[in-house]
Amino acid sequence: MADLVLQLSRVAHERNGRRLLDGVGLSLCAGEAAALVGANGAGKTTLLRAAAGLLPAATGEITANGLDPRTAPPAAAARRRLYAEQHPSCAWDQTVAELGALADRPAAWADWAGRFALTALAERPLASLSGGERQAAHLARLFASLEEPYGALLLLDEPTAALDRARRETVHAAVQAWAQAGAAVLVATHDAAWARTFPRVVALEEGRLIADGPPAAAFTAELVRAVWGAPAP
Amino acid sequence: MRLGRGALVGGTAVLGLLAAGALACGTAGWGFGEGGALALLRFPRVLAALAAGAALGLGGATQQGLFRNPLADPGLTGVFGGALLGMALLLGGAPGFAWAHAWSLPAAAFAGSLGVSGLLVLLGRNGPPARLLLTGLGLNAFAAAGTLLIANLAPESRELLLNGSFGDWLGMASPELVVRPLLLCALAGAALLTLARPLDLLALGEDAAQAAGCDLRRLRRRAIVLTALAAAAATCLVGQMAFVGLLAPHLARALVGPRHGLVLPLAGLVGATLLLTADTLGRAALPGTPLSAAAVMALLGAPLFVWIARRHHG
Repeated sequence: MADLVLQLSRVAHERNGRRLLDGVGLSLCAGEAAALVGANGAGKTTLLRAAAGLLPAATGEITANGLDPRTAPPAAAARRRLYAEQHPSCAWDQTVAELGALADRPAAWADWAGRFALTALAERPLASLSGGERQAAHLARLFASLEEPYGALLLLDEPTAALDRARRETVHAAVQAWAQAGAAVLVATHDAAWARTFPRVVALEEGRLIADGPPAAAFTAELVRAVWGAPAP
Repeated sequence: MRLGRGALVGGTAVLGLLAAGALACGTAGWGFGEGGALALLRFPRVLAALAAGAALGLGGATQQGLFRNPLADPGLTGVFGGALLGMALLLGGAPGFAWAHAWSLPAAAFAGSLGVSGLLVLLGRNGPPARLLLTGLGLNAFAAAGTLLIANLAPESRELLLNGSFGDWLGMASPELVVRPLLLCALAGAALLTLARPLDLLALGEDAAQAAGCDLRRLRRRAIVLTALAAAAATCLVGQMAFVGLLAPHLARALVGPRHGLVLPLAGLVGATLLLTADTLGRAALPGTPLSAAAVMALLGAPLFVWIARRHHG
């Protein structure tokens, strides 16, 4: 049995009187990759943020690599976790290379910058890039921070939403490689074709978990209608 | 084009030359005096301007990084005003105690700047940049009015407080008066330099910083306390001073880019350069009618402030 990396039990979260997560239970083991699907507002981002410990007010049990990320020292909780935001930002006008320097692993950054076709853009300010190039730069910085995949928890929030086909495939390959190397990966996505390639699909609706299983079982007609609308993609 | 670490070396060299010029410049004319006597007399003032300017530059860079707001500046957001109000409360309420206990005025300034910083965070955080700035401007106006009220109620401290309000305390710099604030500037400055890495992560947003292992609560606590300490120490040396903390980080970022490992020390160097230049110009530009460093800084800084505001919001 592979090591348990993420365990959520009866996780709930409310904001402004609205229940964003409602008793969600989920576990991910080392080497397991799951797609997280749901319509806009279903709670995907809230679930990923709760799993990353970014919602201290969330209730229920959250354990990642043996620690509760809401109360554990942030540096300890972050040691074996990556969290990619849906809309990454930067307060100052950093260049791509300056953003990459935050990864603190120059060789890994150079590798990921190459895979995301960012090498030629290294001296360009982020503000001058397209939305997709910016997202790729933030992903490259994040991916270059991962030292040891085995047992790591990767929480990726719509990482391919703004990317072109080549960069999307880079993310697809990275997720697959990490899961094979023993990382636990949870990816929120609206890309139905990509979600179908995962061995496991977790679906949310109005903050509740409505499906959790292999794509053939999880992709019911109701789920497809609820998330993507008819006809099925 | 980014200059990198060379900017720190160049900035230090320029500052050294300026300091030598400031030591040689005075109402008695140019020169160090016989046996360096005049330079020795001017030394506390020059040292005070350097230390206060560096503390302001570092404090401004930290506040801008902490609030992710290019318009944050302890001078504009009332942290300086709070320091002066703290000193005014002590000078107005217990002047005998203030002058008998050498650490009491820096402590009162620190209490005032920390109080305003706390209010600023409480009222201005988690909103658009304009909210923070407007909250700070309101707190600054309130603190300035409080200081003036106390100055009117306490005639024996009136002139001192009015001079402080106009940033005109460098003229009375003496070894006894500057030594304690200098120590506090050095302490706050050295501690602020250690915040470079978490401030870099915070530039990516609160979620990204926290997910990368940054302890946001600890960072906020340390940044706010140390910025308040730097502002209090600088206030004890120069009085109220706007624009240095705003401009120094902008000039530093323009030279070396946004990484705080370079921005923080360079903002300190640029702040020291700005304040020393303003003070020296104020002493020497119009012989017989000296201008306070704050007045010269406002003359130079206000147009630059407008330029920065237009650059970021236009």
